[in-house]
Amino acid sequence: MSSLATWQRFVLAVLACAATTLIATPLLGFLDPANIVMLFLLTVLLVAVSLGLEAALLAAFLSVGLFDFFFVPPRFSLEVQDGQYLVTFVVMLAVALITGRLTGGLRQQADESDREALRSRALYEMARDLSGALMVEQVAEITRKFLRSVLDADAMILLPDSTGSLQPCAGQQDVRLQIEPRLAIMSFDGGKPVECPQLADSGYAVLYLPLKAPMRVRGVIAVVPADSCAETLLDQRERLETMASLAAIAVERLHYVEVAQHTQVQVVSERLRSSILSAISHDLRTPLTALVGLADSLTVSKPPLGEVAQETAEAIRQQAERLAGLVGNLLDMARLHAGDITLQKEWQPIEEVIGASIKLLGRALAEHPVKVSLAKDFPLVEFDAVLIERVLCNLLENAAKYSPPGSPIEIVVQARDDRVEVAVCDSGQGFAVEKNSATFEMFVRGELESSTPGVGLGLAICKAIIDAHAGTITAANRAPGGACVTFSLPLGLPPLIEEDVIFQHGERQP
Amino acid sequence: MSEILNECARVAPVVLIVEDEMLIRRFVRTALEDEGCRVFEAATSAQGLLQSGEQKPDLVILDLGLPDGNGIDFIGHLRGWSDVPILVLSARAHEKDKIQALDVGADDYLTKPFGVGELRARARALLRRQSRGGEAATPIIDFGAVRVDLSRRLVTRSGAVVHLTPIEYRLLCVLLANTGKVMTQRHLLRDVWGASSVESYHYLRVYVGHLRQKLEDDPTQPKYLLTETGVGYRFLP
Repeated sequence: MSSLATWQRFVLAVLACAATTLIATPLLGFLDPANIVMLFLLTVLLVAVSLGLEAALLAAFLSVGLFDFFFVPPRFSLEVQDGQYLVTFVVMLAVALITGRLTGGLRQQADESDREALRSRALYEMARDLSGALMVEQVAEITRKFLRSVLDADAMILLPDSTGSLQPCAGQQDVRLQIEPRLAIMSFDGGKPVECPQLADSGYAVLYLPLKAPMRVRGVIAVVPADSCAETLLDQRERLETMASLAAIAVERLHYVEVAQHTQVQVVSERLRSSILSAISHDLRTPLTALVGLADSLTVSKPPLGEVAQETAEAIRQQAERLAGLVGNLLDMARLHAGDITLQKEWQPIEEVIGASIKLLGRALAEHPVKVSLAKDFPLVEFDAVLIERVLCNLLENAAKYSPPGSPIEIVVQARDDRVEVAVCDSGQGFAVEKNSATFEMFVRGELESSTPGVGLGLAICKAIIDAHAGTITAANRAPGGACVTFSLPLGLPPLIEEDVIFQHGERQP
Repeated sequence: MSEILNECARVAPVVLIVEDEMLIRRFVRTALEDEGCRVFEAATSAQGLLQSGEQKPDLVILDLGLPDGNGIDFIGHLRGWSDVPILVLSARAHEKDKIQALDVGADDYLTKPFGVGELRARARALLRRQSRGGEAATPIIDFGAVRVDLSRRLVTRSGAVVHLTPIEYRLLCVLLANTGKVMTQRHLLRDVWGASSVESYHYLRVYVGHLRQKLEDDPTQPKYLLTETGVGYRFLP
């Protein structure tokens, strides 16, 4: 019934009153006029129930008129002989009005709550659909479906792009509505709905709602009413805000899904890279280990090999060891370049790592006496021992490689201002002067076409490691001849050490 | 070496190699057989566990990168019922693996690639420790010019008394008691300072430095109190 237009209801109300008159006329002989009044009241009540308040009001006045005209003597005139009937009219009108009003109001409420239920249902459906949305386009589509079905309105979702300016999200090409950017930005920045009823009928969106998610405002939804009833739209603001927050939660959820996927991709590629590195390192090292070991067991085999064979076996072992060193350097470089190395910095005496490096090189330094000079009680320095050991080994190896057998190698440790300087010096021919700045680049070697083996990775690795420690590394030639590579590390404030005391009594230890 | 040869010949120690690469197994076997040891091989950790049950080896040489499982798990399993010395073979730049292996019970490690001489030296040291296991440790230990008399708690260097602090002495004793074995920093801290100070690595380094100052000829190039960078320390007479 609610679908009837107002004029149709009025016609029906008039017809109802006319029908009552027709039915009551033949009954006039049998019924008291007071009972006929009852019939008219019943009619008004029925009209009120079925046709609404306005029709009931019409029926009330019409009933009074018809009763007067057809049933009150003198009949077929609006005159009234008996003054008593005036009271009847007034009471009849009052009762008709009151009942009509009451039932009509009731009806309106029922209609309203029906509509309310429909909208709530639509909202619920929207929430359900949103929870399954996988893309922002779907969120926009679901929101628009809701607006169309409930308010006969249309909308567009605007999301900030990478530069922060609001752009319509994808998949909304068919939306016919103009956006007033300033209002959208006002709503986005302020996190509050902005409405502008003056824009109705112009094709511009009237209401701009922020997509306010738990973490932050994710965008703006611009709403335009379909048929210029901006008032209904604004009446429904609370509901629209609920809708906006549902959409906002969906958009935020999608955002985090994207973030999580991105992170996962990164983790997977990170894992892939490091597993490739370790696979390569394993695959290269295994045959090298066998090669070194097998050649070495030849040199010590019993009965001993002939002199030539012995030398060959020794050479194979040396070359294999060199190759292993190269592979190690290449993998280190790959790791350093991939940012794969996290520094395990710890406070420690610098002489310890120097001693360990000299010990580690062993045979390679056999022909060079190494002299270490540093002050007693040198403060602790914070560094990654494994990596600094790499640096020292590379520098010592270079020093041994580029200086004549028997010549000494010197390691000098000095504190200078807030840094510790470690210099590794040899007595070889030194660096070719013009090349110094390039020495630390990858694959640059001190001398061209040299017969001395090496690919120049060593110093590049040293530089990468020292850079990671916020230190500096420089190469220079020293006056008496020979090269000096000096690296520095920040000194910082070492932790305190509580010393225990020597037990002094007698010769026995505590 | 002759001393060790004698020792090996006397009891023919049994060595088990758990390594997946055949060629590496081959030269390790040759190197150890030259030392007079009986050598068994296993290519997988499952096989290795089985063999160590059957052969009761005096030394296990274990590659940490086995294809069928984690070397660390192998050590854990083996340590469940055996205290046979374990020498771990591992790649450089895998300090964490080495520390983990030592912490769960490995005795020493060799970094790949390694030479025959190095391998034999490590194997000898571990076998010597193993064969000495039953006997009471001698109260007097000599290295270089230093003599440590454990019964009298006396340390001398070239005949002169060396004064050590209680902590220095305790640290020295722990290292001497584990001759040849790599002691992780964590392990040393726990044994010397107690369980509460296992994170104060710098204390340990400073005290090792003190010991070197007092006992080594050149503290910057120690010969006996050796650093295993990133892992720990080892005493080698």
